[in-house]
Amino acid sequence: MKMDRSKKEADANGGTKIGRAAGAKPESYLPIQAEVVDIDVESSNTYLLSLRPMDEEDELVAVNYSPGQFLMVSVFGLGECPISIASSPTREPLQICVREAGKITQGIMAARVGDVLGIRGPFGNGFPVGSMRGKNVLIAGGGSGFATLRSLINYIADDRRDFRDVTVVYGARTSQDLYFTSEYGSWQAAKIEVGITVDMMDASWKGNVGLVTSLLADLDPVPGTAALCGPPMMIRAVARDLLGRGFIEPEIYISLERHMKCGVGKCEHCTMGRYHVCTNGPIFSYDVVGDLI
Amino acid sequence: MTGTSAFFLRREDLVPLLEELAETLEVVAPVLVEGEAAFATWRGGALALDDKNPLASPMEFFLPKKEVLFRYVQYSGRYTFSEDPPRARLIFGMRPCDLQALKVIDGIFGAELPDIPYAGRRRSTIIVALNCTSPGEGCFCRSMGSGPGAEGGYDLLLTDLGRGYLVEPGSPAGVYILRAHQRHFEEADPEDQREKERLLALAGEEIIKRGPSLNPEKIREAIDGVDWEEAGRRCLACGGCSLVCPVCHCFSVLDQGVPDGERLRCRDTCILSGFSRMTSGANPRPALGERLRHWYLDKFVYIPEKTGLFGCVGCGRCSRVCLGEVDRWSLFKEAAE
Repeated sequence: MKMDRSKKEADANGGTKIGRAAGAKPESYLPIQAEVVDIDVESSNTYLLSLRPMDEEDELVAVNYSPGQFLMVSVFGLGECPISIASSPTREPLQICVREAGKITQGIMAARVGDVLGIRGPFGNGFPVGSMRGKNVLIAGGGSGFATLRSLINYIADDRRDFRDVTVVYGARTSQDLYFTSEYGSWQAAKIEVGITVDMMDASWKGNVGLVTSLLADLDPVPGTAALCGPPMMIRAVARDLLGRGFIEPEIYISLERHMKCGVGKCEHCTMGRYHVCTNGPIFSYDVVGDLI
Repeated sequence: MTGTSAFFLRREDLVPLLEELAETLEVVAPVLVEGEAAFATWRGGALALDDKNPLASPMEFFLPKKEVLFRYVQYSGRYTFSEDPPRARLIFGMRPCDLQALKVIDGIFGAELPDIPYAGRRRSTIIVALNCTSPGEGCFCRSMGSGPGAEGGYDLLLTDLGRGYLVEPGSPAGVYILRAHQRHFEEADPEDQREKERLLALAGEEIIKRGPSLNPEKIREAIDGVDWEEAGRRCLACGGCSLVCPVCHCFSVLDQGVPDGERLRCRDTCILSGFSRMTSGANPRPALGERLRHWYLDKFVYIPEKTGLFGCVGCGRCSRVCLGEVDRWSLFKEAAE
């Protein structure tokens, strides 16, 4: 039951309108309280935190979102910042992947199991998962940008027959910086082609070394729809490569990162030209933002 | 008193009327603060109505420079939150340009995902507007279609006719005030209405006489024609323009206090270098010229796309404070007519 409902929600939210979860009041600046129920170490500076809303009336927040949406996460006393949702609405618990960057992310990472964080959201449009169904899907991630794509990958894996060929390419600085390594096997078992690469060789790494685009040359994905998240340089290189392969600009979706204070299109920190990344994005198609990134 | 069209308030009755209103409401009005006219809580005494529209706009009472969004109190790991209810308030002497600014902010803070603190203040504020019969230097409300006469958006509208004020209601709340305090009002003479029209036409001419007007249609073109890199070198990045602009609404959010404390919302401006900078250090608008260009594009292109209204109301405040000569007159000479 839960899965069906969240699938419908995610399809309806994705790419079209502002995400809105029953129970959450997105227009309020009051966060809901969520307990940290589990912490996984993804890399030396990145944790995956599992969250559970503490009040029954907020429970739906944990399943009513779509891949690509984000939360405003609070550590009371330090402040609030946007963090993309790393879990898929098809699977509980709700998870966020946090890399140490500034004082708020440090505060989130200092939380222990049982501690309370504030969350508001979900915010943003999310990937257009509804329109991705029936198509070939190429997912390309770089660095910490892979967290939001993991939500999409697991979402697709849980509904695999609705999608055609699915390919994931992902690059990190070193093998120690790769996220979600324990899940690659399950993705491959779900007939998702997975290519992983690192920038720098080390003794423990036997895989590819090089840029994400080199994986595209190897895997030769069939044109369809694409989801990208990572550093701007990687995004530009991958998008150019995909266009050369016959992908079209409106079918290349990019998840953007910006400084944000409100999440609801008011504070103006995340503006990119006429767009608010928080409400018009964070997912934009290449034809819309290609010349802005 | 039965009609709801127009009334007359004698000059000497204004303060007694405000005194009565102040018994139940916080009355905000232009008063002298350290020798300068400013919108502030009126505590009786003289009003600063002879001066030009105060530099500090009444938007402060809808989007304060600093406000507590909520308080948090921690008890055994869980938090309890509290918010302040909005205060019942009456703003007296709001000019047509600032009324227009309020309409623009309604289109941003009242739309899509409405901003609850703003919406609360908006609902609990009564607006007594004052038509501009003596516009200030540098005002160009006429170009922006926001003055000198107000069109809607007020509960009561006053026009200074010299010996007193023409008073017109614009909402049920305005009619209520007229009825509750009717001993101060008398039916207006048809001649008063004509006098109002005459004074506003004069004010409109005065605005044109004092300086060039701005053609909003030409602005987009003018923005493209500005050498923003050069403008960036002249701009002092002081943020003064944003501080006095009634439409500027950028804010930052920060926490104060551990384990108990407050989440504060403070005014911010996209002119400052750190505004869009991410924790990683990446900055989408690193150059001052780019930020200045964005400031103008937002007002003349993006906000109109979003709200149907210009993000500039022609109050002229930014030009009054700009020390870097990157105000509209210095930048958009071509768009002047």
